Amino acid sequence: MARLRLPVLLVLVAVVTVTPFVVMVLVAFAPYGGRTLPGALDVTRATFRNFSEILETADIARWAVNSLVYSLVSVLLILLFASMAGYAFAKKRFPGREVLFWAFLATLMVPFQATLVPYYILVSELGGVDTYWGLIVPTLANSQAVFLMRQFIVQLPDELFEAAKIDGASEWRVYTTVVLPLIRPILATLGVFVFLWHWNDFLWPLVIGQSEAMRTLTVGLATLEGENVTINQMMAGATITVVPCLLVFGLLQRYLTDSIATSGLKS
Amino acid sequence: MSKVEPRAAAPGEPERTPRPVVEPVPLPAGPGRPGRRARLSPARRREAWIGLAFVAPMLALFAVFRFGPTIGAALLSLTDYRLNGEWTFIGVANYTRLLGDDLFWESLGVTAVYTAVYVPMTVLLALGTAVLLHRTVWLRGFFRGLFFLPYVTSIVLAAVIWKWIYEVEDGLLNASLGALGLGPVDFLGDERLVLPSIAATAAWKGFGYSMLILLAGLQSVPREVTEAAVIDGASAWQRFRWVTLPLLRPVLFFVLVIEAIQAFQVFDAMYVMTAGGPVRASYSLVYFLYDSGFKFFDFGYASAIGLVLFLVVLVFSLIQRRLIGRETD
Repeated sequence: MARLRLPVLLVLVAVVTVTPFVVMVLVAFAPYGGRTLPGALDVTRATFRNFSEILETADIARWAVNSLVYSLVSVLLILLFASMAGYAFAKKRFPGREVLFWAFLATLMVPFQATLVPYYILVSELGGVDTYWGLIVPTLANSQAVFLMRQFIVQLPDELFEAAKIDGASEWRVYTTVVLPLIRPILATLGVFVFLWHWNDFLWPLVIGQSEAMRTLTVGLATLEGENVTINQMMAGATITVVPCLLVFGLLQRYLTDSIATSGLKS
Repeated sequence: MSKVEPRAAAPGEPERTPRPVVEPVPLPAGPGRPGRRARLSPARRREAWIGLAFVAPMLALFAVFRFGPTIGAALLSLTDYRLNGEWTFIGVANYTRLLGDDLFWESLGVTAVYTAVYVPMTVLLALGTAVLLHRTVWLRGFFRGLFFLPYVTSIVLAAVIWKWIYEVEDGLLNASLGALGLGPVDFLGDERLVLPSIAATAAWKGFGYSMLILLAGLQSVPREVTEAAVIDGASAWQRFRWVTLPLLRPVLFFVLVIEAIQAFQVFDAMYVMTAGGPVRASYSLVYFLYDSGFKFFDFGYASAIGLVLFLVVLVFSLIQRRLIGRETD
């Protein structure tokens, strides 16, 4: 009896956890007007109509491109700049190193929303409203990324870098041919997280992308909410939004417990 | 335990590399100070330049987009800066205005209640699933991934789906309640239910993260300790209550504070699900900040609200650092 209870409880929680996703997909594929459950559950009448309709009413394709650009470019640049900074903080001695590292870390305590207004004013003064760079560049100053990189690189033995230098490699070469390959696991983990943070980000894209063409999928989905869109179309849009998350999540699975639990990653 | 709080412990961690012999050294900024620069050996000087070069891109980003806006927020809150870009220094007038602003107190109250509902909900759910997972081997990886699934989606997506689930007519919940002969319940339209309903959505979306941290904490509880308790004849509940839970306390506390900080910044779900309603029953502090800044373009005032938010988060962080520091000493 007691042995049976645990799996039963697990399955119960699992059902509650996935139900919202399941109904989202069912309603997204339901025939027109099939918003009530019995109608939506009739899988034999599944249709792509809601998808084609929402793609017609809303510029979802454009929003998806925006989201992709925002997420992918940020991943690449954050991985590059954070690993460079992490390498320097971990392995190079330079004046002001400690102070700078502390200053970077201290920004973790300042919630983004608290600085939202000066952020917006700054970027708009620089002409970044409704531009890709205005969306992306300000989010690259990511202290968690720098912190993670430094923690990881500090554990690597110095001999690895010195050997390369004795062979006459330049610093940049040491970085690209020794450091980067060694930190691949942490690059992968962080890359997945940065992708998800940016793909799911809401407040900053909402504030900085003011024209409809500059919305990201998340922002677009939120603005659809108030418009003349059926629940079936809405759920079709939601399904489109969630697919990349699930793909990236598949990649993340391997690293799940270790990396999240040990690094306190949270956006 | 130590695995879980590098975020809090790391800044205090002793440096592993020895400090340079000649510290303090001025930033190698200008050729105007040859006297002091000469004290660095050429190799050291080269290393310093390389280090700075590698930090430079990130440093530039931080200087412009982190340090700048942080100082800017403090200064802005002392002005009446508006959309047209004109401003005058008005001292603490924004803050005194806040103290007399009913909307501010209302939004602060909403945020506090939301936090008080959301945090226990999420942490209990996370703890429960972590304990369940810890005690099963049956498909553990599968369930762990499944429970983490909502976390990788956005809160906006969760809000969109759950808004429909909560709908009075045809919503999944009310359809189910109807089948049982109950309801209908207006989850988002009732002033007393709206915050718990939004909190439940956020808990569904977010509990996976805390679950993973708690699971790691549970796995670091030494097996011998619980086995000893088994030999002493302790029941499962007694073992959990008197052995596991005390050992888990630092991790549990970390998770509580992290979730509280998260909850205090709530905005997205309310923006999508209720637009702050009904009658501002879900009008959070960040919603108030957003409206002040981006609906009324009252930038100085919005910055003052931001500073209040910062202070609350700072207090949470300091409590966390203090208590976790004490636990691990």
